[in-house]
Amino acid sequence: MRLLKRSFARLRNLASRQSDDQRFLEEMEEHVSRQTEENVCSGMAPAEARRQAVLKFGAVEAIREQYHAEKSLPFVESIVQDVRYSLRILRKSWGFTSMAAISLALAIGANTTIFSVMKRLLLDRLEVPHAEQLRLLHWHGDKHTAVSNMWGITDNVAEGIAAASFSYPAFEQLRRDNHVLEDLFAFKNVGTMNATIDGNAQILQGELVSGNFFDQLQVQPQLGRLILPDDDRIGAPTVALISLELWQRAFGSSPAVVGRTIKVNMVPVTIIGVAPSGFTGAESVQSSPDLFLPLSSQPLVEPRGKNGSLLGASSPQIWWLNIMGRARDGVADISAQAALDTSLSAVVRSTLRLDANTTIPRLDVLDGSRGLFRSKQMFAKPLEVLMAVVGLVLLLACSNIASLLFARSMARQREVALRLALGAGRARVLRGVLTESFLLATLGGALGVALAFAGCRALPALLANPWDTSQFTMPLDWSVLAFTASVTLLSGLLFGTVPAWIATRSDGGACLKATGPGSTRRRKGLSGRMIVTFQIMLSTLLVAGALLFVGTLIQLAHVNPGFRTDHLVLFAIQQPELRYPAPKDLQLHRQIEERLRALPGVQSVTLSEVGYISDSMENTNFLPEGEPPNPDKDQSAWNNAVGSGFFHTMGIPIVAGRDFNENDTASAPKVGILSESLARKAFPGQNPIGKRFLAHFHPSEGKPGDLIEVVGISGDTRYWSLKQDPVGMFYQPYQQTPNLDFGATYEVRTSLSPASVAPSLRKAVQSIDPDLPLQEIRTQQGQIDASMQQERIIAALTASFGVLALVLASVGVYGVMAYSVAQRTSEIGIRMALGARPREVFTMVLREATWMALVGIACGIGATLLSTHLVTSLLYGLHPNDPRILATSALLLALIGLVASWVPARCAAAVEPMQALRHE
Amino acid sequence: MMVLKTLGVLGPLHGYGIARRIEQISGDQLALNQGTLYPLLLRLEQEGAIESEWGPSENNRRARFYRLTRAGRKQLQAELRDWQQTADIIARFLAINAETRS
Repeated sequence: MRLLKRSFARLRNLASRQSDDQRFLEEMEEHVSRQTEENVCSGMAPAEARRQAVLKFGAVEAIREQYHAEKSLPFVESIVQDVRYSLRILRKSWGFTSMAAISLALAIGANTTIFSVMKRLLLDRLEVPHAEQLRLLHWHGDKHTAVSNMWGITDNVAEGIAAASFSYPAFEQLRRDNHVLEDLFAFKNVGTMNATIDGNAQILQGELVSGNFFDQLQVQPQLGRLILPDDDRIGAPTVALISLELWQRAFGSSPAVVGRTIKVNMVPVTIIGVAPSGFTGAESVQSSPDLFLPLSSQPLVEPRGKNGSLLGASSPQIWWLNIMGRARDGVADISAQAALDTSLSAVVRSTLRLDANTTIPRLDVLDGSRGLFRSKQMFAKPLEVLMAVVGLVLLLACSNIASLLFARSMARQREVALRLALGAGRARVLRGVLTESFLLATLGGALGVALAFAGCRALPALLANPWDTSQFTMPLDWSVLAFTASVTLLSGLLFGTVPAWIATRSDGGACLKATGPGSTRRRKGLSGRMIVTFQIMLSTLLVAGALLFVGTLIQLAHVNPGFRTDHLVLFAIQQPELRYPAPKDLQLHRQIEERLRALPGVQSVTLSEVGYISDSMENTNFLPEGEPPNPDKDQSAWNNAVGSGFFHTMGIPIVAGRDFNENDTASAPKVGILSESLARKAFPGQNPIGKRFLAHFHPSEGKPGDLIEVVGISGDTRYWSLKQDPVGMFYQPYQQTPNLDFGATYEVRTSLSPASVAPSLRKAVQSIDPDLPLQEIRTQQGQIDASMQQERIIAALTASFGVLALVLASVGVYGVMAYSVAQRTSEIGIRMALGARPREVFTMVLREATWMALVGIACGIGATLLSTHLVTSLLYGLHPNDPRILATSALLLALIGLVASWVPARCAAAVEPMQALRHE
Repeated sequence: MMVLKTLGVLGPLHGYGIARRIEQISGDQLALNQGTLYPLLLRLEQEGAIESEWGPSENNRRARFYRLTRAGRKQLQAELRDWQQTADIIARFLAINAETRS
């Protein structure tokens, strides 16, 4: 209690800086004069009396200090002093300060950003209570698997395919039979939906969910109510739950949103509630559906399949639903898998037509805590590479700080020795150095946090397409930030303090003497040089990596896709199936095609079922006439349905035969154009024109297929990706295909910009149907650029890290060489006095730096050779150990080493012998 | 404790007075540097045991007078009690020694 009172009083004194020195002096004066008077009274001479009084009082200065120490907190005060002193020093050497702070900031910022993205994409779980209990149902089968028709993503695995999609009858059956997991629930992210809110047409992301979905996920609504099993009945009024984000964006967070009606794919839907913040549905952590609708609304809002409905027993062929369930206490996943597998086999046998050689898919129970977790397949590899790169940058930055601080503390060794010699405590000296390191670390850390914030804002923008509506949010991860910040700051403190500690331990006198004339200091500079060699090694590795990725990008930019990519504007039209059941959709597209062709500024127009270089493709079976079906042989080809004028508009050459024309109507004989490579493969050594082939046959669905006559041969093109070499494919006029139920991509050749042509395109389409929006308006070149986005991001990030590495390395080389020259000034002076010419001194310094650089480069090249094979899958058109790239990076680093040591070498050459010798 | 007791007995007093008083009571056996008294006074003041103010001294000069506060009085009593106890215990030990020796 007393101690508390005292400390408080001291703190107050410290804060108010109230000086009581005056009071003490006055009291002392009073005291001494009274003692003097008394002494005089007892008979002393006045002078002697005063002397005795002062003697009796004691050592004034010591008491005064004691008084002051008692008065306030000397520890805090000296810290304030240290901070002031350090700030002054840092300000004075602002070059050093800014370099070190920037190194720290970059290390913290870049690492936090990349780690945050990585965590978001690969580690974060769905935002629901106990996400770790969720299990995802998956299946795998070989290439004869009974499941042939899927809406969803399939993975090619060894010996066949795997997918997380199930038919509705399979879901019902599994749910009925299930007693090994908690109640199974189903969902399907249906992608974009055309919605009309308050008369504004917009494109939203939608997810269909089973009635027990929210109950099983244990989510609470932000507003209103969730979707209940009762909403998921055929015939129930169509309702929707909207996301918090849509609620804020389109309804201004108005509580009156509950009960409002919006149109979704032209169906009126009543809003019943708002999903809680952070809820992203069950598909993935990154997706953000705006609308959640009951499964029962599928035939209305998202009609697909024969009669629009994927529900009930009517369409067991189409496998599309994702199924999840929570783990049940005491039931191991493996036994749950066995039980569910049995019921899956039963449902496949009872609902699908099986031939002799078709096989039954086997069920897997997987971890569902991250949804379908597609991001792992998509981003794991590039993120690993980026992680490795930023890790190296972190190392580089840390070593940079280390070498800067090291060189600095070496240079200050004399100061330390002097302070020790003058009687400063070791702890006090150490504390001073620690304060300085700490200040530097704080400065760098603050900059780093700012950079991390900016990075987390900027990176999702890099990841998103300009025409993609789905939002990917990337909150800054505080735990990640805390981790990288503490690692970097600690390394800063460590490297700042250790040399100081060594300095305080060393014998002060020897130190003062040794650093004096300083003739030979080779050994002492060794650790600094080793750090710089290490930096050059890391930089070589980083630069080589950056060059590889930039080279990949350049290679990709020079790929000839087989068609003209310039002056092509693309957009997609997805007609609602309800209004345009086949073959009305074909008529609609014909109408649009003709209306667009008449527009001013439009040179030619065509459409295709699949747009190019957009990661979409279509594949069907392909049998040259007369060849028997053979399940063990690959009898398939890539295909596309196109409008007339497709080859002309896209600039794909017809190398033999004829183009499609107006006579190839729905009722005319079916015709097709083969690409050169397919023609060579299917009809080797023959003239394919006039030959026929069978395609689109599905005996199990009762489709006999179409017999198509080859009328022409086209040039080869790349199809879904620039990285994929041209594939064998055939084209058909879309009028001769059964339908375009996935919509179509229009290709418009025009000299106008997309922005200036879009309004007239939109007007033309809406003059045919005012409810049809134009989706994803972009140029073909923009589409290609977007497809290279991953490569571009990696190239941009690694390139900037590479440049950073070069800068850091050159700073390191400069620092160490300048330091070494400064230390050796007198040695150089002696050399010059003994007859060395400036030129020789100059080359001597350069030689030293070059040696350092060469060793670093050699190690770096070695490290590169060892590590680049890890990134082979991310490269295109380049060998991972391309000698040109290795040579370029080695040359760059050698150049950097030379340039960075140029100035110190010049300084060394300019040393005046006499001045250097007199210097100390 | 001695300072507190002095102030407790004599009432408000200035630094010199306290020093003199302690000297007198101790019969000049305590010959400390008188100056060390002042940091001690400051500390006691910060602990709240005494308070001080400027006032005229006997010869009409400005002097700082220290006075015991209520908390200080309590503290003095507590310390006296403690001291008494300690002294008792030690006295008993010394008494036992005397017995065994005799």
